Amino acid sequence: MRPLERVLRTRRALATAIATRAALWATATTLTVGALATIASRRTGRLDGFAPWLIAAVIGGIVLVVLLMPWRRLTVPRVALWIEERVPRLEYALVTAVDPAAERAPTTALLEQQIARVSWTAETRRAVSRAVAWPALATIAAFGALLLAQRVAFARSASAPDGTVSATSTASRDVASPFARLSATVRAPAYAGGRVLRVESPASIVALVGSSVTFDAPGAGAGVTADVGGQTLAVQPTSGWRVALTVGDRPTLVRFRHASGERIVALEPRADSVPTVRLLEPSRDTVMRVARGALSLSAETHDDIGLASGAFEYIVSSGEGESFQFRSGTLGTRQYSGAANGTLAASLALDALNLKPGDMVHLRAVARDGNSVSGPGVGASETRVLRVARAGEYDSIAVEGAPPPEADKSMISERMLIMMTEALDRRRPTLARETLMSESRAIGRDQTRLRKRVGDIIFARLGNNPSGEEGRDPDDDPASADTSVRADSASRDAARRAATRAGRPAREIAAADSADSARAALLRAASAATGNGDEILDFEGDETPVVAINRPLLEAYNAMWEASRELDQGETARALPPMRRALAAIQRARQAERIYLRGKAPTVVVDLARVRLTGKDTGAASTRVPRQPVDPGAARRAERLAAAIELASRTPAAAIDSLVLLRVESLDAAPRLAAAIADALDAMRNGRDATTLLARARRVADGTVRGAGRLGAWSGVW
Amino acid sequence: MSEFVFATGQYESGDWDSAPLVPANLIDSLAKYTSLPVAPTGAIVALASDDLFRFPLVYLTGHLPVRFTEAERANVRRFADRGGMLFVDDHNHDIDGAFHKTAVEELGRAVGKLTQLANTHPLYSSFFKFPDGPPNTAHELNGWGDNLVHSHLLAAMRGDRIAVLYSNKDYSSEWGYHPDNKRFLSIDNTKFGVNVIVYALTR
Repeated sequence: MRPLERVLRTRRALATAIATRAALWATATTLTVGALATIASRRTGRLDGFAPWLIAAVIGGIVLVVLLMPWRRLTVPRVALWIEERVPRLEYALVTAVDPAAERAPTTALLEQQIARVSWTAETRRAVSRAVAWPALATIAAFGALLLAQRVAFARSASAPDGTVSATSTASRDVASPFARLSATVRAPAYAGGRVLRVESPASIVALVGSSVTFDAPGAGAGVTADVGGQTLAVQPTSGWRVALTVGDRPTLVRFRHASGERIVALEPRADSVPTVRLLEPSRDTVMRVARGALSLSAETHDDIGLASGAFEYIVSSGEGESFQFRSGTLGTRQYSGAANGTLAASLALDALNLKPGDMVHLRAVARDGNSVSGPGVGASETRVLRVARAGEYDSIAVEGAPPPEADKSMISERMLIMMTEALDRRRPTLARETLMSESRAIGRDQTRLRKRVGDIIFARLGNNPSGEEGRDPDDDPASADTSVRADSASRDAARRAATRAGRPAREIAAADSADSARAALLRAASAATGNGDEILDFEGDETPVVAINRPLLEAYNAMWEASRELDQGETARALPPMRRALAAIQRARQAERIYLRGKAPTVVVDLARVRLTGKDTGAASTRVPRQPVDPGAARRAERLAAAIELASRTPAAAIDSLVLLRVESLDAAPRLAAAIADALDAMRNGRDATTLLARARRVADGTVRGAGRLGAWSGVW
Repeated sequence: MSEFVFATGQYESGDWDSAPLVPANLIDSLAKYTSLPVAPTGAIVALASDDLFRFPLVYLTGHLPVRFTEAERANVRRFADRGGMLFVDDHNHDIDGAFHKTAVEELGRAVGKLTQLANTHPLYSSFFKFPDGPPNTAHELNGWGDNLVHSHLLAAMRGDRIAVLYSNKDYSSEWGYHPDNKRFLSIDNTKFGVNVIVYALTR
């Protein structure tokens, strides 16, 4: 390796050392300044958030820049001189060798040989180590200082006068008191399984009503007193001392007092919920014509602790007016033995109840829990009523569901009939004559039904009874159908007008009237409409738009008639053209109509007297009434909360006690406030910043609208 | 003086009853702004009926094509000649003039050609002042229907009197709401209806 290359390698090492040293010093400076600024900000409260660290970062950056400046001076001659200074054996051979002026000198080879015999790696390594060692140590020290500063700041924050609130637990301040190692053992009532829970250093205890709570603490217990709700509790000597009590049904405080201080523990009773019962069968109230057979009953039950028993209860009420008799009973009783969930099932024999018309059976399911302390809790389902209908009210009872539609009465569209006919026509060469006729006539019957439906529509529009001749089933006897038909004058007029326009002779018109057949009238109108008559139909005359708009349907009706006739003869190919004409006519009719749907318009009667303000004045201006004064307890609670928050900035431990007291007293009257205080307490006990939570509690406490108990002097009746 | 009864004309074709709330709304406005004695509900009168001549003003509207019967056509002609006023409004704002084409044609056959009514006509100042002619409807301004703001009404005159006033501004939709809801409008849009009634009763 040539001398210049070795010098450059050394220069890289020195540059790295300079950069590392600068970075370490900058880090150490940043951490140190940040730690100091944190402590200062906690003390003075002038800086918060990231401000201390922003300042520290700026200072650290300045240090970094300043310490990187030597980097620029690392030229090759300077580095060579730096090496010559530390390795005198080189005798300036290195400086000479790296000089560009001596590059082509005849002595270059000799100089390189001399330099090659000397190594300065150790000197370089030592220099680099020295340069980095102290900054590294400074960085570690600064990091330690930062951790220390955090602890100091955290410890001071508990008593900081700036309004931010956090605190260590109550227990940690009671090291010297007899309550320092207070613990509680909670034993649930026997019906709840007698489960035992141990709580160390309790601040509040949530337990079922009737649970036994035992407070234990080491020490002699001399001078210790305890009371709950003003009643003194016995302090029993054991290996330490013990206080026992039973959880009542209201929130309360247990106060332990000693010359060294006081300890408060909140007792929050948890009520045992009553069982929930859901009646599954019968699912709804029912009215029966005859009470016979058995009625299936089922229900499901649930309890938060455990069920004891369940059963169905029924009451039969008989009679009417002022004379009623009642019978009651239970059935399907079941024992659960403490299970949380259960079912009930039974069968009610209606015959055995001997129900008469008008009698009612009230049914419900009932479940009881095993609460032997404050219970048992009884839960009941909603009540179902089964009633036996009276003879005179059958018309108001919907017992039977609608029957399913008859399959052979369903309609097939014209398009579907065409597809069926086309398919049959394709299969025609392969079918026996009888099969072809059978299937073709089946399609023909469907075609006839559809034609009948079209006829109904036309009749309805013409103002006739759609259930006339064309309302009859096509399978009915046609002769009887013809004789049973009555076409009213309107349909005859329509047919007559159509025939007249078609240029029919007068005798034909007379014949049409004399036939008195709606079918004939309709057919004539259809024939005229489709141009089968000798003359072209002209609707411009005195024809009404109602008939005009029926024209496509009349055409379809006629084509269907023709198609069904061909289908009855098994002529599928000849049936298809009129079927397609019918389809096209139906499409035209559908497109021609524009229907405006609307409901029946309301009849509006304008109240003229009211509009003209001439009505009788019956109103009077309302007077102001004083607002309901807010619960005075709420105001007191808000004041106490404010005082506790104020106290928290000076003595967090006392504030915690105040908040515990306030929370217990608020559990019933202001549960939202109690919950908000609980959150704040949790934060304070765990050393977290409770400022936001206390602010929320204050909002909850102040949330109600305040009003004075009376109106102000300015107010009064208008 | 007998009280004014607002009459809606019934004709054989089309949907003559497409704006059932307009009569009550105009009756409410008439009662509110004028001291004219007015019946609290409107009446329905068949155009082919002789009862038509009992009403000084008959309101006619619809969406569908109009085809008068001979009796209707003759009665309308006599009604116009004898001093009645027919107020016809095209209720369409979503199709291309089906009512307009047929109604104008029918009215032309019945009472003569309809011509543009000048926006300075006394109709526009008979009670309220409408210096710009007929007030526009929301349907016109919203660009619905034929996307036009019709600047003039049409009329068939008998002398200097309007015998048939024809509008394709769709006042039937504009005024088709319950009068109790009028309080929600910042500007009462039925004032022109008062002008029409007052004009019919004073000419």
